[in-house]
Amino acid sequence: MTLVDRLGSGLSRPPVTVELDDIQATVLRYRPEPYYGTHVMLHMADAQAGREFLRRVTPHVGSAAEWWQAGQPWISVAISYAGLAGLGVPQDSLDSFPEAFRAGMAARAGQLRDDGDNAPAHWDAPFGSGQVHIGISIFSDSEQAWYQTMAMARRQYEGFPGLAVLIEQDFGAQPGDLNPLGYKDSIGQPAIEGSGVDPLPGQGPAIKAGEFILGYPGEADVPLPMPQPDVLGRNGTFAGLRKYQSRVGTFNRFLREHARTEEERELLAAKLVGRWRSGAPLTLAPDRDDPALGADPRRNNDFSYAADPDGRQVPLGSHMRRMNPRDTRLAILTDVNIHRVIRRSTTYGAPYDPDAISPADDETPHGLYFIFLSAKAMATLEFLQQEWINNGNFTGLGEERDPNVGLQQDGATFTIPQEPVRRRIHGIQTFNVLRGGEYFFLPSLSALRWLADDQKGAGSCRASTTTC
Amino acid sequence: MTTETSTATGSGQDLTVEEKISQLRELFADAPEVGRTALKNVLSRLASDASQKPPPPIESAGRVGSRLGKVSELTIIAPFAPGGAQRLRAFLKLFGGNLAGADDVGTVHDMRFVFLDNDTRMLFATAYDGDWDAYIDDFATKIPDFLDIIDSAWEGWPGIRSPQAKDYLAKHQVTAEGWYVANDLTVAETRRLTRIGQAVDQFLDAVGDS
Repeated sequence: MTLVDRLGSGLSRPPVTVELDDIQATVLRYRPEPYYGTHVMLHMADAQAGREFLRRVTPHVGSAAEWWQAGQPWISVAISYAGLAGLGVPQDSLDSFPEAFRAGMAARAGQLRDDGDNAPAHWDAPFGSGQVHIGISIFSDSEQAWYQTMAMARRQYEGFPGLAVLIEQDFGAQPGDLNPLGYKDSIGQPAIEGSGVDPLPGQGPAIKAGEFILGYPGEADVPLPMPQPDVLGRNGTFAGLRKYQSRVGTFNRFLREHARTEEERELLAAKLVGRWRSGAPLTLAPDRDDPALGADPRRNNDFSYAADPDGRQVPLGSHMRRMNPRDTRLAILTDVNIHRVIRRSTTYGAPYDPDAISPADDETPHGLYFIFLSAKAMATLEFLQQEWINNGNFTGLGEERDPNVGLQQDGATFTIPQEPVRRRIHGIQTFNVLRGGEYFFLPSLSALRWLADDQKGAGSCRASTTTC
Repeated sequence: MTTETSTATGSGQDLTVEEKISQLRELFADAPEVGRTALKNVLSRLASDASQKPPPPIESAGRVGSRLGKVSELTIIAPFAPGGAQRLRAFLKLFGGNLAGADDVGTVHDMRFVFLDNDTRMLFATAYDGDWDAYIDDFATKIPDFLDIIDSAWEGWPGIRSPQAKDYLAKHQVTAEGWYVANDLTVAETRRLTRIGQAVDQFLDAVGDS
């Protein structure tokens, strides 16, 4: 279903000021409802094999043109630093990429607080090994179209010498589009200035396009540093991929240990996230679930925290309030607009089973391929991991961590503000454990053509010209 | 100056306690008499302290500087721009030298502005919570003018909104060789504990009066 269909009439559309037909579809198109798709990770033996693949696939890569009413399946192409180097991108161009991107997500584990169970040493192959060069993703809103698009995509990479498929991971096809812990997810997205659609109810003011797309002014009114040459950087963005394994058994046991009835369990589950499993926010449905509200995209994100400063409805430490504090009064001077990311979360594996309570259920393969997009994705992820996920200081919670994606330490707590005194739950566990991650550059369509060009890497011509 | 991350304790990090002690002895052999005697008096205690209860390790605060637990140190030494010293002095005098407006920042424990060498250079030192550049971008969009009023006293300051601002700070920052913090508490935690303490006192006062 397209965004226009989901929201019905009245989608306000101001003029477009970014080059939508050069920007990849994934940057602006919301995840389809329902959604089906596949992530494919490729390794290329040499530059020639990589460029030939890009020449074949680029004509099929979706653009963001008219993204609000686009309903067709789409393909996206993302390239890691190892991939860019392997494609023969000139050294001075490679050097223009941010340091954290060049190092890769595994090498930045310290800055990302990816230690203990989340450390790269525990990741699934091939993540963190430097083997992943190109990531392609197929998104579709119907099973039939997904098969057709996948078949077409496979024709571009299967059976070609010099291209190895490292991962082919199907995602989506979940009943009700629920995530591995049984929640409707990916509800709140940032509104992007100049993208052609006014902010949806509750999205807050539109954020400057440069925060999400390279080549445009950001919130500080200047463009963010951009990889060079311009044809490579402009209209591109960075993507982070985080593969989480959901410990469903641990999660269900936690709910049972700390809530006596089914009703209490659902309330506790809602307090952890800030939304009922239906997606209905606790600000608008504080006492009981309201599935109709959760399903309504015009209403399910339309709130502020003005009437809930202390978190009696939505706990200050809940996942939703940490990831987007909106108008919450924080303990640290913070510009909440510069830490937002575009999220394209994709659930894989068996659907959520509320009766799975054994330790073995923790290792049933299901979880999230969490994708986030931003013109400074690496810096934003490091900020989020350090300050908003694996810390509580910014919102007066000391060392408490995010109950959804935080890495919990021994004796960790989760605080639920309530009258007359807060409830503090001891022994919260890590419910989603990290099993892999990569940083990618998501080039514009013209950059994909530039990357596919044999001449640009020849060394005899300057990277700043495209006509040599 | 370098923009690379440097360790707080330099090359001494990999040495054993015995090696460090013997290095200390050698260096103090040429020290003035008071220093030599002082070392002799406490040497056995130093050796046993250093081997028996090693202190929590000082870590990197990120790009530059050191962090101990939750609190990091930052020292910048930068040349004044022409007229910069007079401008900054006048600005600081507006508040009697006390930048209480910084309360809102929420991560800054203290700040000192020291004018050196006949107003030609400045030393700025602060203790703050967390890692080096976590909130620099936030300050650039929330309080850019206050930062630029202060920092434009420095020669070559590019402006807080400039992509070069962080490079400028890193270039002029000097990592401390030693770093000690008494309380492993952030500013936010300190304020919370103050509020809790007041509430407990009120409660105890009420109980005691009844």
